[in-house]
Amino acid sequence: MRKLAAALVVSLLPAVSFAAYPDRPIKLIVPWSAGGDTDVIYRVFAPLMQKELGGTIVVTNVGGASGTKGAKEAKDSPADGYTIFAIHDSIHSTYHTGVADVSYADFEPLCLVSSTPSIVTASPKTPWADMKALLADAKARPEQITVGATLGSTSHFFPAMVARAAGVKFKYVSYEGTAARMNALLGGHIDLAESNLTQKGKADAGQLKFLAVASNQRNPEIPSVPTLKELGIDVEYAVNRGLVAPKGTPPAVLAKLRAACGVAAKDPSIAEAFKKQGTLVRYLDEIAYGRFFKTNDDETVEVARELGMLKR
Amino acid sequence: MFELLWQGLVGLMALKYLAPLALGTLIGVVGGALPGVTITMTIIIVLPFTFGLDPLQGLAAMTGVYVGGSAGGLVTATLLGIPGTPSSVATTFDGFPMARKGEPGRAMWLGVWASFCGGMLGGLFLIFATGPLATFALEFGPWEFFSLFILALSMVAGLVGDSLLKGLLSGALGLVVTVLGNDPILGAPRLTLGIEFLEGGIPFLPVLIGVFAFAQIMGDVERMGRARRAAQAVDRTLSLAVSHAKVLMEILRRPFLLLWTSFIGVVIGVLPAIGGSAANMMAYDQAKKLSRHPERFGTGTPEGIVASESANNANVGGSLVTIMAFGIPGDAVTAVMLGALTIHGIQSGPLFISQHPKIAYGIFAAYLLAHPIMVLVIALGARWMLRIVTVPKAALFPVVLVLCTVGAYALGNAMSTVYVLLIFGLGGYGMVKAGIPLAPFILGVILGDQIETNLVRAVMTDADPWLFVTRPISGMLLAASVASVALALWQHRRVRRRAPADAGEGADF
Amino acid sequence: MLGRDGLAGLAVAAASLVLYWLTLGLQGNPLVPIGPGFYPRLVLGLTAALGLALAASDWLARRRAPRAPAAAGSAPNYLLVAAAFGVFFAYTLALPTLGFRVATFAFVAALNALLDPPRRARQWLRVVLLALGATVAAWLIFEHYLTVLLPRGRWTDF
Repeated sequence: MRKLAAALVVSLLPAVSFAAYPDRPIKLIVPWSAGGDTDVIYRVFAPLMQKELGGTIVVTNVGGASGTKGAKEAKDSPADGYTIFAIHDSIHSTYHTGVADVSYADFEPLCLVSSTPSIVTASPKTPWADMKALLADAKARPEQITVGATLGSTSHFFPAMVARAAGVKFKYVSYEGTAARMNALLGGHIDLAESNLTQKGKADAGQLKFLAVASNQRNPEIPSVPTLKELGIDVEYAVNRGLVAPKGTPPAVLAKLRAACGVAAKDPSIAEAFKKQGTLVRYLDEIAYGRFFKTNDDETVEVARELGMLKR
Repeated sequence: MFELLWQGLVGLMALKYLAPLALGTLIGVVGGALPGVTITMTIIIVLPFTFGLDPLQGLAAMTGVYVGGSAGGLVTATLLGIPGTPSSVATTFDGFPMARKGEPGRAMWLGVWASFCGGMLGGLFLIFATGPLATFALEFGPWEFFSLFILALSMVAGLVGDSLLKGLLSGALGLVVTVLGNDPILGAPRLTLGIEFLEGGIPFLPVLIGVFAFAQIMGDVERMGRARRAAQAVDRTLSLAVSHAKVLMEILRRPFLLLWTSFIGVVIGVLPAIGGSAANMMAYDQAKKLSRHPERFGTGTPEGIVASESANNANVGGSLVTIMAFGIPGDAVTAVMLGALTIHGIQSGPLFISQHPKIAYGIFAAYLLAHPIMVLVIALGARWMLRIVTVPKAALFPVVLVLCTVGAYALGNAMSTVYVLLIFGLGGYGMVKAGIPLAPFILGVILGDQIETNLVRAVMTDADPWLFVTRPISGMLLAASVASVALALWQHRRVRRRAPADAGEGADF
Repeated sequence: MLGRDGLAGLAVAAASLVLYWLTLGLQGNPLVPIGPGFYPRLVLGLTAALGLALAASDWLARRRAPRAPAAAGSAPNYLLVAAAFGVFFAYTLALPTLGFRVATFAFVAALNALLDPPRRARQWLRVVLLALGATVAAWLIFEHYLTVLLPRGRWTDF
């Protein structure tokens, strides 16, 4: 009887999770709406991780306010391993431009999962045949070529970095989300925008123009598109996505999550699934990921300062 | 295109999609038939169920609800003389007299087959017009979208309710809701009133659910307890047997009427946020004006039933066109569908068909298939439905409110959206009590952020404010909105002069 | 003298002006040519004007033809409406503390009992069965079949 009572007491204490972790569903917060690039990536990734963990992972979309709403919720969740967060490069820019108070330092890194190289994309209604023509035109008409971007986020930082490296100036117009930007490009309401390989179909159909890719080497999917480096513009840019847990999560739990993440990232089916999303698998373990966060953050501060957007 | 449509139809035949579609249609017919439960409410109830489904499953269910609901109202309208939804009000005018004259089967089936024909004509429009309109919509820059939204708001403000002033005020109040919390461009907090969760802005679905569900339910609650109406006695011996061929001929013998009233339905559907309740009244009015025997209207003439029911189902097709081509909701029902799309991360708009052909053609197919399913559901279930109609509201309301709460909660996985639901529930009930129409308010909430975003985009793209007027499409749209306000002003004045009647309390679309 | 419309109009105008005043302190951002306060001021100015217009038209109409109070038909049962809102309010408080299952059971039972007061034991049984059925069905469908996570109770962890 006493044993039974003790068992009851133990089972009623949720914080004391000596029982095998995980014993209930893990909430993976994706700070963007479902169906977006991040969401699609983790809907493929989570099942593999959960196979390794032996528990369920529920992908939960908490979108809004440039991805900072979900970040806030993740930060404020109990650090028990039952909440993990799908982080994205924008965490740095939203922090330093003062959009939100959450920074990468509020979390424990688990692993870096993917990297999506950015592509300079132009409207079909623009006259430029290639990147050179665009830059010549931009020099002739400073601050007149319009770029659609989620202000303060990666799609704004990337063209700004290109402009800085090439010594030109663009005019930025707020178009939040890839879908809105592609609509505007197609209708010719903006001239340029950042996109990635998910838009390859439209580029092939002549509805968009890929001018240059920001990766280190040409991409085999689009061999005719030059890299920015080839053109003498020293910019390499990709959107990186990884997983983190709230600060203070017990080390034993972190170790389990990290191991599962590593196994999932090395699964051959992931590379194939990500390729459909125009994304590359880029696995870094927690130590390398921690360093990556630091350099990425420093770079963001640099760029934000030059853009005049640095608030802290 | 036909290949895609065919693939859509075949794909939808899979049990995975057919089951939600058939269930949705069934729920729609029942919800439509229940007096006091509107299509909007039915779709709100169905919303949380779609979160866990794949996008097309969810949309198939919702399309089913929409089609089923537009037809379901006619069962109660013809057999009991009570409109099941506001979109079948005009059906009672002739449907009930015909049923009382001893032809309940003819009355009901005239309505069902008219719904079917009207719906199919609406479907033709849906399939052929969506693509070209979407291509046209690509030409819309920020200036044009801004002007289009202004036109939508001013039209709704002028059309619903008894006062243009209150309509405009309602729409403007909806815009105020979107101003609170943060600005849509940089997400910077503004007017948060010190409330932390407001910093993310107020999501529109909980507002919509709260306003409609509570306005409707509390409106019924206030009449409960005092004068409890005896449950409608249903004549179990009622014979609904009828020759379907004869009824169908009766409709098809009047091709002009059918085409014209369906056309009215479609046009009203395309225009933002007017909805089925206007479509059936307008079509009935037109049928009466065009008839050689206007005096027979109201005594049980088939034309009246055909006009009303073909229009409200054709209206569904029209609304779907607007949501798919322009990404703006034709009424509250499509607003919820739009919400369901965004939950699944799908942006509806000019690129919707080309980016998501599977879903777009799936919706077409669901719309087409929902009609025969609707006929089947009514054929099998009309008699039971009359019994369901008498389900006590005391049992219905708590369950509906639980579903609304689940829907609101699941949107953000947080309690804050449930509080939004409660606050706007109170607000919606208050607005009904103050005689302020709800439709413009909701449209304002839905369009507010987009109006601001497009305004800012326009200014960021080109600082010249005259472009709103000088760009041809934008200028035309703005002129039309001025004209619609002027027209509403003139109409309201005329009505007031003719009959200084008391204000009614229209609570729904 | 002002009526329902007039008072509503004045309330809207007053609230708009307060919010308008709050927008004046908003800081712009060099990236966006028109600041975050521009559009809110536009909208709030509009609501303020419309609210005042509503109050004015009400006042004018009343001066022209003072309307008798509406004929007393069956007065709406506002007490019941207030009680129903109260029960829902309690539900929103109970959800995060007691958890979905406990709170929903209590809410459905309470609202059903409020709207259709049970007198005999049989009717009480009906209330309990309805609440139990609705709760179990909602839980099973959403949490298990559709994987929509519902609130757990902070106090009950259930």
